Amino acid sequence: MSTPDVDVIVVGAGPAGSCAAIVAARAGLDVVLLERGPFPGSKNMYGGVVYPRILDTLIPNWWEEAPIQRWVTRRSTMLLTDTQALTIDFRSEAWGEPPYNGATAFRPDWDHWLAGHAEAAGAQVLTDTTVVGLIRDPGGAVVGVRTDRPDGDLRAKVVIACDGVNSFLAKEAGLYEHTDAKHYTLGVKETLALPKEVIDERFAVRDRHGVDIEILGCTGNVNGGGFLYTGLDTLAVGVVLKLPKLAAQKKRPEEIVAGLKQHPAIAPLVQGAELKEYSAHLIPEAGLTMMPKMTMPGMLVAGDAAALCLAAGIWLEGVNFAMASGMYAGEAVVEALQANDTSATGLAGYQRRLSDTFVLKDHRKLHRAPELVLSDRVQHLYPGMVANVAERMFRVDNPHPKPGLRRILNEERKKAGVRRRDLLRDGWTGFRSFG
Amino acid sequence: MSIVACVKWVSHPGEPHDERFAGMSMADQSALEFALQQGELLGQPVTVITVGPAGADKVLRDALACGATRAIRIEAPTTAAGTDVATAIADHIADAEWVWCGDYSLDRGAGSVPPFIAAHLGAEQALGVIAVTLLGATVHATRRLDGGRRELLEVTAPAVVSVEGATARLRRAGLQHLRSAAAATIEVMPATTPIHRAEFMVRPYRPRARELPAPTGESPLDRLRVLTDAAAASAARGETVHLAPADAAARIVHALRDWGYRDS
Amino acid sequence: MTDRIISFQERMDTAEFRVHHQAHIVVDSRVCADCSTRECVIACPANLFIPTSDGGLVFNYEQCFECGTCYIVCNREGAISWSYPEGGHGVVFRRT
Repeated sequence: MSTPDVDVIVVGAGPAGSCAAIVAARAGLDVVLLERGPFPGSKNMYGGVVYPRILDTLIPNWWEEAPIQRWVTRRSTMLLTDTQALTIDFRSEAWGEPPYNGATAFRPDWDHWLAGHAEAAGAQVLTDTTVVGLIRDPGGAVVGVRTDRPDGDLRAKVVIACDGVNSFLAKEAGLYEHTDAKHYTLGVKETLALPKEVIDERFAVRDRHGVDIEILGCTGNVNGGGFLYTGLDTLAVGVVLKLPKLAAQKKRPEEIVAGLKQHPAIAPLVQGAELKEYSAHLIPEAGLTMMPKMTMPGMLVAGDAAALCLAAGIWLEGVNFAMASGMYAGEAVVEALQANDTSATGLAGYQRRLSDTFVLKDHRKLHRAPELVLSDRVQHLYPGMVANVAERMFRVDNPHPKPGLRRILNEERKKAGVRRRDLLRDGWTGFRSFG
Repeated sequence: MSIVACVKWVSHPGEPHDERFAGMSMADQSALEFALQQGELLGQPVTVITVGPAGADKVLRDALACGATRAIRIEAPTTAAGTDVATAIADHIADAEWVWCGDYSLDRGAGSVPPFIAAHLGAEQALGVIAVTLLGATVHATRRLDGGRRELLEVTAPAVVSVEGATARLRRAGLQHLRSAAAATIEVMPATTPIHRAEFMVRPYRPRARELPAPTGESPLDRLRVLTDAAAASAARGETVHLAPADAAARIVHALRDWGYRDS
Repeated sequence: MTDRIISFQERMDTAEFRVHHQAHIVVDSRVCADCSTRECVIACPANLFIPTSDGGLVFNYEQCFECGTCYIVCNREGAISWSYPEGGHGVVFRRT
């Protein structure tokens, strides 16, 4: 058996990879961080909001240096029908001050910045290098990776696969039982340019404060959701679409975004904005249902590669799960190498950390939510029903007296074709998931 | 130092300088590839040189990873004027026999640095070359001429060759070389002469709008002929003259003025 | 005021692609010749798969977001072979 070139190879300089590399390199390990793009973040795209509190320990006062666009101080959830919109809008000044809550940021900025910390910690960041496969010993343990460069094999004691949603490494290693299109959603977005003052005015925010709007009922017959986020002088507007439905409904992704932008509740917000960048990415949507085995001898999987993305309706989080899982993978590797044991047992600290923290706790708690949120009733029946209830509640229909809420609910439920039993069941599922 | 590749690290034009998006042009990559091939052919080391800020070390390290033996960076901003860049480079590579340059950088200048270097070194020059054959002591280079014609040059050292982007594809650096290049030494030197800021940005060629008098002529066809200049243009504009360089330059400027490309 | 409608090509031109000379997507037209659903044609956000009048399928790889949608929605085993382009090539995001 040949000797390893380095202690740790981290594949992918996204939030998971960089955090893993930071932890491992700070512990004095010899770390190589491989990135297939020309710079970290160049291949990465997401909705637009990051929740960075997990960095408190890794990069104290991260908010003083992190390349963010705006701090999210206003968070709205919108239910849309073709002609109606019901919005729950929350704002908090506290979210505009340290330690903040969420922020809008561009991934080419954010990931580049995080990778800079990995480099500063002593990890060697090699860009423009695609990992094409694993090197395994006769026993099956991972002992390195094969890259697309000449003389491109690199051997290590441990490999941390943070190679994103498509994770060819986790698949090659057999950590995914199977991949199914129904576990994925396609995120498509437009980055639109508008002057900062116009954004401030349209979204009623000031300074670096920004808005996060999650939207349900805006994707037509394709199950999914929409979003609208404010950058400093840009808007991110896009949709997340369930893959099998998208293919079946014969509606192209960019048409669905165009439909959202034309909705009477959204159009005034994005009017006159110039398209700066169109982009798309896959999202591992199904949570626990799709998660792979997290460790095997010589290798761990983190971030999107491990399907650690929380897509639970009102909570859409991924980068924080990636950063946390990367950190925990890094810690587990440090532990394993100190004990000189990179077997499944030696790396078990990773699974334990995931289980003991929000990473898997949130997923377990919300494990029914992704399916519920993308179910046909929530997608196609409830938004109209709820919007109609609101319309009738707020409509002054004199000389008719005001109807009671119970009557409106009952009538609208019947009109929408929702069975009482299903409504109660969904309500119970929602309560159990979110409650 | 007999084989030298000159490269520029810069962002695309019209965009604020951003290190993440800066790099070297395809033409510079081709130049580096020819320098490396020639180095292998002649068994000589290859020096890669750039004029730029610290961020430019990235392209030098890429070049080292590809097989260059020595890397020099002359400290200057990316906005340095082409003449000063050429002077700075020439001062550091006075004994160079072969100097390979790209015909353009990512920010699309005028391609003036290679001829200025040649002038400083008193070297031969083959500029805007579209094909190269390395033949040991000489290099055969093909240039594009008007009317689809080609000019074949036999170039001997000392010479400056600037190549177009499609002439060669830069080899891919091996992984271990990439790793060791990250720690390699880059010789950072001050410029020997003052570096000025480029006074103007050279933009892609856009002929200025010309005022045309209303066409004269009896029939619509005549007027159309006058308007499109169809009969007169080709005869009037093709002209071969034998003049001393200074007179030739004056003649060109005169013609450009006649044709409406210059005001004065 | 209504905003100008842009063509799909203009839309794609807003993203940067450093095209490699080798395709990272390969479609086996023998496998997809009798596919009637053509999920890739609908779902690919870059619209890289174009059905031809004779029932075939042409594809581009140059302006690919490298998302993986095509091979994941595809119902035919072996129809789409998909890998990442050579390091340093392909899409380069800027404000995503």
